[in-house]
This record gives sequence, C-alpha cells and structure tokens, in this order.
Amino acid sequence: MILFFLTSGLFLGWSLGANDASHVFGSAVGSRMVSFRKAAIIASIFVILGAVFQGSGAAHTLGKLGGINALGGSFTLALAAAITIYIMTKFSLPVSSTQAIVGAIIGWNLFTGNPTDSSTLSKIVLTWVIGPVLGAIFAVLLYIIIRRIKKASNIHLIRFESYIRTGLIIVGAFASYSLGANNIANVMGVFAPAFNLQDLHLGLFTLSSNQQLFLLGSLAIAVGILTYSRKVMETVGSNIVELTAEAALVVVLAESLVLFIFSSTGLSELFVKMGLPPIPLAPVSSSQVVVGCVIGIGIYKGARNINFKLLGQIALGWLTTPLMSGLLAFFSLFFMKNIFNIDVGHKITEGSQTISSTLVEADANMSAIIKYLLLGIVIAGTLLIIYYYLLSRKRTRELRQSEEKFWKNMK
Amino acid sequence: MALLTRTTKDLILRINEFFDNIELGLIVFREGIKSYLEKDMEAFRNHIQKVETLENNADRLQREIENEMITHSILPQHREEVFNLIEGLDEIIDSVKRSLNEIDLERPEIPASLNKDFISLTETSAVCAEELIPAARAYFRAPFTVREKLLKVYYFESETDKISMNTKRRIFQELKDIDLAHKAHLRYIVHHIEGISDEAQKAADLLSAMAIKIVM
Repeated sequence: MILFFLTSGLFLGWSLGANDASHVFGSAVGSRMVSFRKAAIIASIFVILGAVFQGSGAAHTLGKLGGINALGGSFTLALAAAITIYIMTKFSLPVSSTQAIVGAIIGWNLFTGNPTDSSTLSKIVLTWVIGPVLGAIFAVLLYIIIRRIKKASNIHLIRFESYIRTGLIIVGAFASYSLGANNIANVMGVFAPAFNLQDLHLGLFTLSSNQQLFLLGSLAIAVGILTYSRKVMETVGSNIVELTAEAALVVVLAESLVLFIFSSTGLSELFVKMGLPPIPLAPVSSSQVVVGCVIGIGIYKGARNINFKLLGQIALGWLTTPLMSGLLAFFSLFFMKNIFNIDVGHKITEGSQTISSTLVEADANMSAIIKYLLLGIVIAGTLLIIYYYLLSRKRTRELRQSEEKFWKNMK
Repeated sequence: MALLTRTTKDLILRINEFFDNIELGLIVFREGIKSYLEKDMEAFRNHIQKVETLENNADRLQREIENEMITHSILPQHREEVFNLIEGLDEIIDSVKRSLNEIDLERPEIPASLNKDFISLTETSAVCAEELIPAARAYFRAPFTVREKLLKVYYFESETDKISMNTKRRIFQELKDIDLAHKAHLRYIVHHIEGISDEAQKAADLLSAMAIKIVM
C-alpha cells in the first residue's frame, strides 16, 4: 500500500522534472548554446546528487503552512499538485511547483478545517512578487557588466562564446544541484516519516532511508527532465524574448542569486545586524524568477521584442496554478475520504500532530526490492550515458573520415 | 573542456587563416594584372598558380569552419550569417581566380595607352575588397567598429565604378584605331576586374547587418 501511495510522489517528481528543469537550462537550450540532450543529462545527474546529498534541509519550509497528518492526505496533495503541473506543462507554460504545493496544502487546510498560517502564506506570496522583480534587476545589472567586460576586453567572439558555454554548463549544473536539494522536499518530504528502509551500503557511501526515498524521487525528476521538459525549456528560453548567449548565462546567474538570497539565513541575519528588515526566507518560485530575469533583459534592450501575449498567458498561469491545485486537492480529498474511505488527515489540536498511518517498520524484503530497483536504474542510466557518449564520438569520427575522403577525392 | 578549448583555438586560427588567404589572393591579383600588362607571361602564370592554391585553401578552410561550427554547435545564433559572410568572401577569391583565368585564356590585347587605367582600376577594386577584411576580422573582436571600417569599402567601390566608367568611355570614345569586337572584349575585362569590388560590396552589406545585430 505504501508503494502505491508513493506513486503520486513519483508522478509529482516527474512533473517537477518536466517543468522545473526549464528554469535551469531553459535559457541555455532556448539560445541553442547547449543542446537539449546535454542539458537534460547534466540536469538529471546533478538533480539526483543534490536531492540525495543535500535534500533533507528544505523539508521544513512548507511544514509551517500545514502539517499533513495522514499518508492518504500526502498522496492526494502530491497527486493534485502533480496533475496541476502536468496540465500547465502540457500547455507549455512555466508553472511553479511551489505554487502548486502551496495551493494543495491550503486546499487540505480548508478541507480538514485547519487554519492557514497567514503570516507564512503572506511571506511566501510576497516572495512570488519580489522574486521576479529582483531577478529582473540582477539580470539587467549582470547583463550590463558582462557587455562592458566583453567590449573592453576585445575578446574573440568564438572564445567569448566558449567561455559563456562553459559558464552555462557549470552554473546550470550548480543550479540543478540546488533544484534537487530544494525541491525534493516538495516531492518526497511528505512521505519521509512513513518510510523506513534499511541503510543501503554502496561501498564508498551509505544511503539512509530518507536518502533512498529522495533518490527514488530524484530519479522520477530525472525521468521528467529527460522525457518531457523540452517544450517548456524552449518556451522559457526563446519565446518570450530571443536570448543571446551572454543573456542566457545572465538569466541563470541572476536566478541562482535570487534563490540564494531567499534561502540564506546568514544573509538575512546580516541584514538584521545592519538595521535592515530581514529577508523573507521562503520557497521562491524559480519559474517566476526566470521569467522576471528574461523580461528584465528584454526591457533593457528596448522592450520591442518581448512577446507580451505569451507573458500574459504565463501571468495567468501564476494565478491559476495555486487556485487549480487547491480546488483539485479539496475535491480529491473529499472523494478519497468519502468514497474510498481513506484517512486523509484531521484537524490538528495541541499535541496531536502525528502521522495517523502506522509507520512502516524496516522491512528487509522492501529494502531489498528498493535496493535492486535503485541499483538497476542507476546502472541502466550510467550505461545509457556511456552509450550516448560513444555514439557521439562515432558520429564525429565518421564525419572526420568523410571529410578526409572528400579532400582525397578532390585532389 | 580541453577538447572545447582546442576546438575554439583551432577554429579561430582557421578563420584567421581564411582571411589571410583572401588578403593574399588580392595582392597576387594586383601583381598578376601588372605582370600581364607588362607582358611578363611567366610571372603572370606564376600568379595564377598562387591564386589557385589560395582559392583551394580558402575552400578547404571554409568547409572545415562550417563543419566545426555545426559539429560543436558554435555561435548557434550567428552561425548562418557567419557562413554567409565566409561564402561572400570566398566569392571574392573565386572572382579573382576567374578573372585571371579568363585573361589567361582570352589573352586580351590591352593598348599601352590604357595600362594606367587598368592598373588604377585593379588597384581600387582590390583595395575595396582588402578593406573588407579588417572589418570582417573586427566582427569577431570589436563588432561596434565594423560599420566605420566598412565606410572605406563603400568609398572604394564607388571609386571603382567611376574608374570603370572612365575606362569604358576611353575605350569606346577615344580609341579610334581598334575595332568594336576588340572594344567589347576590353569592356568585358573591365567588368571582370570591377566585379571584385561588387562582390566586396555585397559582403559588406551583409557584414553591416550582422554587426548591428550583434551589437544590439
């Protein structure tokens, strides 16, 4: 049963991968600086690394908004959020997974009669507004700096482009790592208390129960990236405004900076020490920040080439995502509870905030299934990457041989 | 990463080598016409051979540059334009080779009184094309200077047109002792030499648009 409940989390992971990889590599793929295949492989690897090795920290952020206290509730919320993200992705609209989950949690709060913490909610909503604005400001500043450096250095266009490409891959890999670290909690965090597996020893390191769960979730994200993220990547990267190579790098850099600011406790404390108001530390929607960055550059370049129609559609998506997710969660919870008779959670009273489903004991069979499943997927993934690498080498060699043959015949 | 750096370095070298070939081709063209006018046929044939080698090199480099850029997805947003520019520059050296070959085949009898006009025409047409090369190099390093460099190309192209008109006028109005077929033949050679500056102007128009796009 617990594996069945997990499927909605995996579906959410897949939706998140299909959608959120665009925030990291969308501008690079949209500007054709990095091929989709290369971007998808790098993003997948680093999302998995981020989720497994640094995924536990972000689990607390959404907990304040609503403490889901039944596994059936977690399943339904994850499903509602996943369906919302899937539908938005289907229409090629960048959608925020944070918004979808926040909407679903509010739906759960309304259904179970739990109050929604208005201060946390307003803090999150505030970042949805500040994030893109700050992203636009950072993007314009970074863009001006890069352009000036380019002009002053008289660097060869091809060399400059090669540096930008390397930068895009490095920053993209780092951003993918952060994406995995931050967003795996949205995908798998709700299932963590109900999952208890034996430690998995892999020679060099050991994966705890949570890490195995996060690895499963991140593999779902990776599958989402590889199978369904292309359309959204192209929307973010090229449809709003045509991006140049340096603009593509600026977008990813600015996005990373904004995400860093809104998640850095150290920086927030520094602000307080300097007598400034603290930075609201809340999950920022990376899709909104990216769109903000792209628009910032578009406005700086004269706003003539901004696709305002598409922008309107994206803004509409921002409003409809939490609403749709919330309504979907509310009605799904109703059906789950009244038709399938599944416990989806209850009103939290003082001292009763526990998971109502029984915790799963460390089951040796389950651990073995997960162990072989994970190992199988990791080996298959590695073989696939090696296969692609060899294939591309073969193509390059064939091209070189045909070139040599051509010139031999010419002589 | 090392592979990418090496590719970048090789590609930059190839592009520079391609430009060098065009520049050298134009110098050889000038010398070739001079040697023909001086009736030094051995030197003329040597110049033709040099131009052929340079033209072959340019073709090989053009192909290699295109392959490298496509295979490694270099300059994806400006690639087509760079290809067109290289094609345009290659047309110049093709035109140089064609002109010299046709002169070699047809052996036009150029009256000594027209030597000065032909030298002047060749000089201006070749300088026009030569001025394009620094502008094309600047596209890769300082695109904001491209348009000011192109001014010289446009200036020399219009000068070439004037010299060409004057030469043709002299052929048809002042040279009374040669027949019409001979005059038509000389006009044909004038068109060939003038064609080099026309090719340079076409490439300059393209480069000008490319520079605006990249600076924006």
